[in-house]
Amino acid sequence: MPLSAFLTVSGVLFAIGALGVLVRKNPLIMFMSIELMLNAVNLSFMAFAHFLDSAQGWIFVFLTLTVAAAEVVVGLAIIVSIFRSRTNIDVDELNSLKG
Amino acid sequence: MLFSQVAFYVLAVIAVASALGVVLNRNAVYSMLSLILNLLSLALFFLLLGGLFIATIQVLIYAGAVMVLFLFVVTMLTPGGQAPQGDDPLRWQWGAGIGMGIILVGALAWAGFTGAISSDAKAAGVSSLTSAITAFGGNTEAFGMALFHGYSFPFEITGLLLVVAALGAVTLGRRPTHADE
Repeated sequence: MPLSAFLTVSGVLFAIGALGVLVRKNPLIMFMSIELMLNAVNLSFMAFAHFLDSAQGWIFVFLTLTVAAAEVVVGLAIIVSIFRSRTNIDVDELNSLKG
Repeated sequence: MLFSQVAFYVLAVIAVASALGVVLNRNAVYSMLSLILNLLSLALFFLLLGGLFIATIQVLIYAGAVMVLFLFVVTMLTPGGQAPQGDDPLRWQWGAGIGMGIILVGALAWAGFTGAISSDAKAAGVSSLTSAITAFGGNTEAFGMALFHGYSFPFEITGLLLVVAALGAVTLGRRPTHADE
């Protein structure tokens, strides 16, 4: 398969992830959509690593995985603490900082 | 058609369909399961692209550990029970932790100031992945050589990042104790 095929799949997945962040109100599903975007980019890194014959793409995927794990831990902790104080995690309701 | 082409199209359909499932499902648990399917199909994509090691850690860390954490939060968002009160019973761990931290900082500073990291990077200089895999005798070996000889400093920084993330999660997740009030 050519490089463009992998990049197309990667782009479609990224777009679906971005769409999910924009349209869903449940922060957990928005979070999953962010994971989708991260993984779409990982796929393009892997495709470039394969077609450019370089290990740097692998390194980037590895670092992205680590950062994503850290991001999930902190993000879920924030969501849980919001849920504790409000018992409702709809992002549209979180408007107490509104001017 | 070649096997790899058939595999590509099947995987592409699974990946896109499961991604749509994440966004469109009403129930967060179904979205979650869809996301796991998506991550597994991406791991197979990585396998197709020759990234054996990355595909393995994708399944182990992402589809395994991270998604279990996700599933816990999705299913157990309602908090219950009380946090244990009283003195910290593991006070000695502060000393052990500080000692380990000093050792780590010393080792890193030594590696940085003696120039071991940068000279290793020049020596290994993985320019061609295929030749590296044959030279080092395997996929994981090639990845390890590239990571620890060219990118060991970013690798150590990810360790710092993970410690900060763990501390942040503990701080955000704990309930207020007597001392705070």
